[in-house]
This record gives sequence, structure tokens and C-alpha cells, in this order.
Amino acid sequence: MNHLTRSLFIIVSMWSLLTLSGLLFSHDVQATQENYAFASEQQRQDFKRLTKVLRCPMCQNQNIADSDAMIAHDMRRKVYQLLSQGNDHDQVIDFMKQRYGDFVYYQPPVNNSTIWLWILPFSVLLIGGWILFKRRPEISHTDEQVEADLLAKADELLEKDK
Amino acid sequence: MINTRFVVPLVAFIALVFFLYQGLFSDPRERESQALAKPMPTFSLPDLMEPSVIYTNDVFTDQVTLLNIWGVWCVTCAVELPYLTELSQQGVRFVGLYYDQDLDPDFGTKTLARVQQEVIETTNQLGNPFVFNIFDVYRDTSLDLGVTGAPETLLIDQQGVIRVHHIGDLNPRVWDSKFAPLYNELMAQQSLQFTTRQTESQP
Repeated sequence: MNHLTRSLFIIVSMWSLLTLSGLLFSHDVQATQENYAFASEQQRQDFKRLTKVLRCPMCQNQNIADSDAMIAHDMRRKVYQLLSQGNDHDQVIDFMKQRYGDFVYYQPPVNNSTIWLWILPFSVLLIGGWILFKRRPEISHTDEQVEADLLAKADELLEKDK
Repeated sequence: MINTRFVVPLVAFIALVFFLYQGLFSDPRERESQALAKPMPTFSLPDLMEPSVIYTNDVFTDQVTLLNIWGVWCVTCAVELPYLTELSQQGVRFVGLYYDQDLDPDFGTKTLARVQQEVIETTNQLGNPFVFNIFDVYRDTSLDLGVTGAPETLLIDQQGVIRVHHIGDLNPRVWDSKFAPLYNELMAQQSLQFTTRQTESQP
């Protein structure tokens, strides 16, 4: 028990350290890109939101806010330009999708190939639940039977010893 | 009699292994280009060497062109330049879409003269396959094409429609498998059009 609490404590403290350093790091990155002059607070928020949900096509698993690749620089500049021209959030996403495909947006659309990502986990859950449901009464029944038999045997033995 | 309790997980396991095994050979960077089968995005950009000359989409009409996106800073581009030069000597029309990494529109550090100098040095050394180079100053046209880096090569037909979009270097293997069949077909069409036009113009 003591061992378990200690390892749990270590895991929790490591996790919080990682999260904290992650926060510090992303703060740093954001500080370097504050060279755009926004017309309004709304535009600044839109820019922050968009650069977080748009994925850098060059560096796989980074959004364009975090990436330092040239393409990410260019895309940030494009997002800024589009926002300045009065485009809204969805229009910017569409603009990028037209050029870089669905890949560029962190929220993939549901279509023929991605629908399986939704169907499979639920079907595993359903099938598993169904198997458990079908099995349970049978097992408990035999268990009871075995237990009763054992008890009877034990009683018999006790009876003999007397 | 085979037990279904044994067979069902086995089949599921084999399916999973097959699926994951395939994953070993898939390229996560491979994506379908969005520019394919679409006309070249409209542009109006200067010549790299002669900025007063402005190119538009007209440079692609009535000619089969290979548009090569490159820069002197790109290592793989330097590797493919000799082969591109070889192809251009065989009559393939190459146009460069040049962009520079250090010529950042936000924090300009490099002068145009310096870029030109570097390009001349590189092409003198490795070969110059290009009829001319379009200078994508702000990299807007590259972005419109869905370019993620250099080198990339596009095959553009006589109507100015993008038919092939290749990411990475162009080597003999890529040329033979990805470009040559369609290129030869397009060239055959072009010469056919040319001969019909000639016969029409004869009295």
C-alpha cells in the first residue's frame, strides 16, 4: 500500500512538472510571434484560435502557432492577412483546406473513411457488453452449485470427525 | 470441431496484425495534392533576374511546362538540378518558381541582388534547366499551390491545368513512372494540333 502511494505520488508530480514546463514553453513560443498589429481584440482572439487549430503540413504534429517551419510562418501571415481583409474563422479554415486538404485542420470531417473511427470503439463496447451480459448468469449459477457442493462435502467431513 | 471462442479472437488478431503491418510501409507525409486537375492559380509575379518583367498565367498557355519550385538554400534542389538540365536539353520546358527562405517579407534581411548572385553561381555550377524563373516574392503562389517545401515539380498542360504534382526531388525513376507517360501523351497532342493548324493555314 505504501509502495503504491509513493509511486502514485511520483507519477502525479512528474505529470504536473511536465504540464507546467509545457505551459512555460508554449508561452515562450507565443511571445516570439507577437509582431502582428491587430485591428481589434476580437481579431487577436481569432488569430490565436486559428493558429492553434491549423496544422503545419510540413512538421506533422505541430500546429502553426508552435511551429517554426517556414510554411508555418507563411500560413500565420496568410491567416493574419485574411483576418485583416474581413474573413471570419470558417472562411480562413476553408481557404487553408482548399490548398492543403483536410489534413490542415485538426478536426477531421466525418466521411466514408473516418466514420470507422466512430463506429469501431462503440461496436467494441457493444459487443463486449453483450458477451459479458450473456455469460454472467451461467457462471454465477455454476459457482453457486459448486459452492453448495463443497459446503455439503465440508459438512459431511465435519460430521465424520465428530 | 473448432471452438468459436478460439477462432473469433484469432481472426480479429490476424486482421489487426495485417492492418498494422501495412502501416509499416505507408508514408505519413504522403497526401493527395489539392492542386491536381485544377488550373494554375492566377498570379502576377516578376522575373527573378529582371524584376520589371511581369509574368502571368499566359506563360503556360499552348505549351506543356514543368514548373519546378526551388531555391538555392534547398539541398535536394541542388541534387536534382543536373538531371533537370539533362531533361531540358532533351527539349522539356522547365520554368522555375523561385522563392527565398531568407528574404522574409516580415524581416527582410537579404537584398535581391544577393539572391540573384547566388542563383547565377548555383546554375553556373550545377546547370540551368530553366527558360526563366518566376520570383514568388511573398510565397503567395506557393501557398496557393499547396507547396510545403522545396523541391516540388508540377506538370502543367497546354490549357494551364496542373496534371502532376510531385513532392520531393525529380530523378530518372520518378520521371519514368510519374511524368513521362503523361508528358509524352501531351506532347503528341500538341504536335497533332500544330500539324492540323499548319495544314489549315496552307492555301
